[in-house]
Amino acid sequence: MKNKTNCKIIEILNLSDKELIELSAKNVLSLSLDEMKAAQDYFKKLKRNPTDVEMETIAQTWSEHCKHKTLTGIIEYTEEKGSKKIKRTYNNLLKETVFKAAVELNKKWCLSVFKDNAGVIEFDSKNGVAFKVETHNHPSALEPYGGSATGIGGVIRDILGVGLGAKPLANTDVFCFGNPDTKPSQVPKGMHHPKRIAKGVVAGVRDYGNRMGIPTVNGSVYFDDGYMTNPLVYCGAMGIIPKDKIEKKVNSGDLILIVGGRTGRDGIHGATFSSIRLNQESDVNAVQIGNPIVEKKVLDAMLKARDLNLYRAVTDCGAGGLSSAIGELGEKTGVIVYLDKVPLKYDGLCPWEIWISEAQERMVFAVPPKNKKKIVELFEKENVEAVFVGEFTKDKKLTLKYDGGVAASMDMSFLHDGIPKPTRLAVCKIKEEKVQKPVKMNSSDLSKALKAALSDLNVCSKEWIVRQYDHEVQGQTIVKPLHGANIEVSGPGDAAVIFPYTAAKGTKKGIVLSNGLNPQYGKINTYKMAASAIEESLRNAAAVGADVEKMSVLDNFCWGDPDKPEILGSLVRAANACYDMSKAFEIPFISGKDSLHNEYSIGGKKYSIPPALLISAMGVIENAANTVTMPLKNEGNKIFILGVTRNELGGSVLAKIKNIKNGIVPAAYPKESKEIMKMIYKSINNGLIESCHDCSEGGLAVAVSEMAFAGDKGVKVDIDAIKTKGELTVAETLFSESNGRFAVEVRSENESKFKEIFKSCVFAAIGCVTEDKNVIFESVKNKIKVKEKSRNLLNAWRNTINW
Amino acid sequence: MVEIEIFTKNGFKDSRGEHVLSAIAGLGIKGATKVDYAPLYIIGGDISQTEAMTIASELLSDKITEKFEISSKPQSGKSKNSVIEVLYKKGVTDTVAESVVKAIKDLGITKEVKVKTGRKYYIYGNCSQVILDKIAVKLLANALVQEYKIK
Repeated sequence: MKNKTNCKIIEILNLSDKELIELSAKNVLSLSLDEMKAAQDYFKKLKRNPTDVEMETIAQTWSEHCKHKTLTGIIEYTEEKGSKKIKRTYNNLLKETVFKAAVELNKKWCLSVFKDNAGVIEFDSKNGVAFKVETHNHPSALEPYGGSATGIGGVIRDILGVGLGAKPLANTDVFCFGNPDTKPSQVPKGMHHPKRIAKGVVAGVRDYGNRMGIPTVNGSVYFDDGYMTNPLVYCGAMGIIPKDKIEKKVNSGDLILIVGGRTGRDGIHGATFSSIRLNQESDVNAVQIGNPIVEKKVLDAMLKARDLNLYRAVTDCGAGGLSSAIGELGEKTGVIVYLDKVPLKYDGLCPWEIWISEAQERMVFAVPPKNKKKIVELFEKENVEAVFVGEFTKDKKLTLKYDGGVAASMDMSFLHDGIPKPTRLAVCKIKEEKVQKPVKMNSSDLSKALKAALSDLNVCSKEWIVRQYDHEVQGQTIVKPLHGANIEVSGPGDAAVIFPYTAAKGTKKGIVLSNGLNPQYGKINTYKMAASAIEESLRNAAAVGADVEKMSVLDNFCWGDPDKPEILGSLVRAANACYDMSKAFEIPFISGKDSLHNEYSIGGKKYSIPPALLISAMGVIENAANTVTMPLKNEGNKIFILGVTRNELGGSVLAKIKNIKNGIVPAAYPKESKEIMKMIYKSINNGLIESCHDCSEGGLAVAVSEMAFAGDKGVKVDIDAIKTKGELTVAETLFSESNGRFAVEVRSENESKFKEIFKSCVFAAIGCVTEDKNVIFESVKNKIKVKEKSRNLLNAWRNTINW
Repeated sequence: MVEIEIFTKNGFKDSRGEHVLSAIAGLGIKGATKVDYAPLYIIGGDISQTEAMTIASELLSDKITEKFEISSKPQSGKSKNSVIEVLYKKGVTDTVAESVVKAIKDLGITKEVKVKTGRKYYIYGNCSQVILDKIAVKLLANALVQEYKIK
């Protein structure tokens, strides 16, 4: 028997300010007073009270998750440096930084930027490649397995929902967790232990990604106690799309088709939930459950429908459910939807629940009436449920009907433009960084520090995680996450390369994916953190053979409470760094996402996350065969360090291990680095480089050691030969995390050609590959000799995470 | 209603059980000596013993590495061990169960069935009720979406 459920009228016309706030809180609307008043004013004009469906629709459309109202709102920013104060007002931070750089760079190969579900750049004359990275932090804190699974499921749907649909080729994932070795008694009550969160999140990505038949090829894991109760779960997906399928268009009269999973009560209030902090009584219904098998069927069937031109537009149902998906598609036309036609998992859902449920694996299509029969037949043949629920109109109104009655009737212009712009204050007090006291260590201390750095949680092998993911499915992954000369050794790859020969027949080209993230730097300086993340993502890509002239990046900001001026100020600085670096490197941002309010309060105490900016990079290379990996290849080959080593230990792994106070956070020098990256590309394409690895966390000592043990080789490094800026001690030289540096291996016969290419850059020959499988760092000048068996270093790197 | 439990055959690695055992040790709990993991399928509807056999052997278990047990009444538990049974709460989408329902139809069994999936952990050694509760809450069941029973 069907429960009779109907709309309620919500009394708001005569409510006082206080009552409006209470109403917003009681119904988990997450609307501010100004927003509630804007809604009140609108309905005063209509001379009636809204229905619950209408209030929920407003809450969803105006949610942080869907409108990004903080970063698109007005920000009064003050920067204080000593006694100097600079003031600036941003009317829309994203448009004035990240997006502005992309517009100014105006790259012809950028095909769709910041307007669709994913950014698209050119792959070849016929195809584009789309890339998107999203976060799923709050759901993963509550239900790690379901949260991360639906995170990856959601970003795959973003790729399916870009243009008329791209075919997913690869997934990426980046996580930040609390220290997995935390004592159980130190975990705040009501929260999961960080190790349980980590294991659950990994299992979720594994089970969803693997079952979708999409390889998970790139990622990283970052541990810091700041993420104990609020883990960060970034999920990315990349896909290929024919150029003539990038634009979508909705015509009045087109029918609305829902395809895929059924609608249930799962994930209600997920969108408005992203605007609130986690607390112990967080809403149970916000948990979403993923079903990869359904999504896989949707994927296969919809790409067939796409190639038959059966629909004019598509988008995914993500946060905000049908309300968001249909609302966005019909923003310019208007829509009428019959909520009682939406297929349900079970009876008893109220109309507003149907409209905003975030049940997974659903896509919405705009179908020209003439294809009505054909498209449903196609989906039915593939065992995918597809139901028409309404049509796009001409009246620019949102009309929802249920059981013959009107459940909602609002103007699209009010819904999409009626949100009042809040003004927020942002302050950034720039502290001057000081160089630490010279770090002096003897040979045995250096040896210990090297092993400690390799086994540090943020450097060590993530093999336990990586091996759970299928990174081979589809058979197109040519540079993989782990590298080694034989099955007994391994080392961390810098970036992944996909050779999409099945989708783009006859191609020689490849797609490079990489990432950069370092919240440790952000604790001191968010500008440098952002600049370093951008530089690191490009460096990782360049190390395998990416063409830095054909790179694009995505931003993902995860920050604390934007209502606190210092926290918002640190975000403004990071956004400014994005603009500066994007311009300097001439690398456009093509898409992005932000997750704010990453805070958790318990027992009156606030836990706020260290700000994290993930930069994900994607580039296209002409010849996928011209790529290199990081293990050392042959005895006798020379090792070069490209780039300058500066005294930059601020936020470094060594600073953490040795508890070093002060230190300069690594800065980015785009002009220097870009030249080096260009020359690496040239050298790799001329066959002059045998192996290449970027120097980041742990500095060049860690980078060179990784190359040695992954290649099952030895290496002898002359520390005195390393080019530094100013006087550095041996420890500072080995462990400084200066940007813009690479370790490369070159055959002796190629040395002169190699040097000729790099003549305009700073570089030095610092040693050679040896037969004896020892890693040796020696400084005659300082009477230092660090000698370790490369197997011992491998074990130090490998044994930290072995759950 | 029948309950089908799938066990790892002797001689094969029960890696899930081993993981749980090491995680129990990680919580600082002593006393557990071994954990056996068994996925559980509760099939409601008018299913005969023969049909249950077909479902268990053809659909739910791997003939080489796994064996199964079918019971129409929940057993009271063997004396040497304790059992923690984890099930989804009512209303939580059980996607594996949905697939099992479809697959049972594909096996040619046309009766209407309802399926619930769960997980059973047989914990050997000396564990008090309080300890078992702790293991269930901290490791095996997420109270947000799952409930557990200790037998």
